[in-house]
Amino acid sequence: MADTTTRAKVRWGLLDVAVVVFALTPVLWIMSLSFKTPATLTDGKFIPREWTLENYRTIFATDQFVRALVNSIGIALIATVIAVVLGAMAAYAISRLDFPGKRVLIGVSLLIAMFPQVSLVSPLFEIERQLGLFDTWPGLILPYITFALPLAIYTLSAFFKQIPWDLEKAAKMDGATQGQAFRRVIAPLAAPGLFTTAILVFIFCWNDFLFAISLTSTERSRTVPVALSFFTGASQFEDPTGAICAAAVVITVPIILFVLFFQRRIVSGLTSGAVKG
Amino acid sequence: MADIVLDKVSKKFPDGTTAVRDVDLEIADGEFVILVGPSGCGKSTTLNMIAGLEDISSGELRIAGERVNDKAPRDRDIAMVFQSYALYPNMTVRENMAFPLRLAKLDKETINQKVDQAAKVLELTSLLDRKPANLSGGQRQRVAMGRAIVRQPKAFLMDEPLSNLDAKLRVQMRTVVSRLQKQLATTTVYVTHDQTEAMTLGDRVVIMRGGAIQQVGPPQELYDHPRNLFVAGFIGSPSMNFLTATVEEGTLRTSLGEVPIGDRVRRELEGADAPRELILGIRPEHFEDADLIDEETRRRGMEFTAPVDIVESMGSDKYVYLSVEGERATSAELEELAADAGAADFSGAGSNLVTRLSAESTVTEGEDRRVWFNLEKIHLFDPSDGRNLTLHEGRAAGALAD
Repeated sequence: MADTTTRAKVRWGLLDVAVVVFALTPVLWIMSLSFKTPATLTDGKFIPREWTLENYRTIFATDQFVRALVNSIGIALIATVIAVVLGAMAAYAISRLDFPGKRVLIGVSLLIAMFPQVSLVSPLFEIERQLGLFDTWPGLILPYITFALPLAIYTLSAFFKQIPWDLEKAAKMDGATQGQAFRRVIAPLAAPGLFTTAILVFIFCWNDFLFAISLTSTERSRTVPVALSFFTGASQFEDPTGAICAAAVVITVPIILFVLFFQRRIVSGLTSGAVKG
Repeated sequence: MADIVLDKVSKKFPDGTTAVRDVDLEIADGEFVILVGPSGCGKSTTLNMIAGLEDISSGELRIAGERVNDKAPRDRDIAMVFQSYALYPNMTVRENMAFPLRLAKLDKETINQKVDQAAKVLELTSLLDRKPANLSGGQRQRVAMGRAIVRQPKAFLMDEPLSNLDAKLRVQMRTVVSRLQKQLATTTVYVTHDQTEAMTLGDRVVIMRGGAIQQVGPPQELYDHPRNLFVAGFIGSPSMNFLTATVEEGTLRTSLGEVPIGDRVRRELEGADAPRELILGIRPEHFEDADLIDEETRRRGMEFTAPVDIVESMGSDKYVYLSVEGERATSAELEELAADAGAADFSGAGSNLVTRLSAESTVTEGEDRRVWFNLEKIHLFDPSDGRNLTLHEGRAAGALAD
């Protein structure tokens, strides 16, 4: 038996390494490119011969990148907060109440999640231009919320369903109103779900390119993924590859921070001990 | 401190099922009342209606004389202990117990004082800073009780609070609950499906079946004077033996022989629509080894001989299973009881009598034994509606009464 377990361990180990290498190589390659000088960019070496921070200096020197970064963070955070709060309320209703039209609501939200976003871009463009939302923060936040909500409702209702209903009844018997029961008993227990959902929604908003490029036209509300595509480097004749790579590295940092920050709050087994089980 | 009155309280669910039908019940101030019955009898729904967790479809519920039908649970000032304990897992034991007080906006000092006091009563003082996850089942159960008693409510509602504990702890906690209730003298409604718990805990027991009350009374009265077949079969462990009995010219023909009947029962059976087939009920302890009884006692009963199937010696007495011929008694009530016990599809062959004989009896398995039973303690039931025919003005007097 010992032989097979060792062999199994080795097999799994190799497989894990393969997956990690496959996933991380492009990221490392981009990082490597971001530290190279323009002259050595195309030398095909993984480890740069000459290290430089020039690319990073370039992107932070240009106003358009910093501005885009601010837009991205602002838009993604606002959309995340609104989507998670609305999603939490909807998911709570779906998991706890039996109301007419519940199935329809679930069906419609699923429909929205499956709708090809490309087909909505042109109508949205027209609508937003008519309403004066084009090239504004709300102009991006609104569609982000629309598409993030189904995701939020789905993940959150799964979490709410795990919370024993007796806890809410107990809170009510202890003298809590419906709102107090939700805020002081249910929401703290659903926290891992709220944070998981927040991460997923944030990443969705942060990564979006399609809406961002179609519904913006100036630096006023252009987000980072779009700003990257408009990169030209320090002068028009310069090859912007290094700068784009540096920017790509920079924009992954907030995501990593966001995930690391919230990951500590995603503790499993938070409800253990509530009920016999 | 308050009395609870249920006045024709009913519960209809939107899908048309009636869970509770016209329940009339008056629970006095400080009384300990047990609602008991098989699963689906409506006892938990009744409790939830008293709590305010379920709406009342019709009828009136009064707590301390005040109609509370439309009041939210938090305005009724009653505490509840749940079967699952329902402790808040993100809070410590202290915070759990303080939660109702904090919602009531008491000041910190009073809260601490009350929590400490309740913790002392339930011996939880050393556990106050632990989270529920780090407590044993019995400790969690006590915390749940603590959360209920800490704010001194008008009444306690308990929904099978002990059924998640193992057997030994359950017996122990039963006395804790009983002592606590006596000490606090707070009106308590306690739901259970366990008839032993019902018998041992309550001042009065309410037996429910199919959403309706079957009988209300002190445990001993329910045991001695069951109003119908269902109550007779539900209360008692091992349960009452039921045999078919045919009415024939002033006697009852049963598989134990011809049972004589007194004038009172005869009068009951004289009517044109009186049943021809009856169900005879005898409790296990009303049998005795015929060798062990004196002449005086012998005259009060009758004897029969039956093969001994199994002997279980309990030390204090012997449970002896006798095989008797004849059909097993059947009725809707008995089938429901069997289904609740999980024995609906397990009937064994023929019918079996469970008897409780003295420990001195020399009965052995496989022999034919002469056994006596007390005619003054037998009950006769009408199989069509389950009514106890031997009951007169609420007292059961056996088959021979004049």
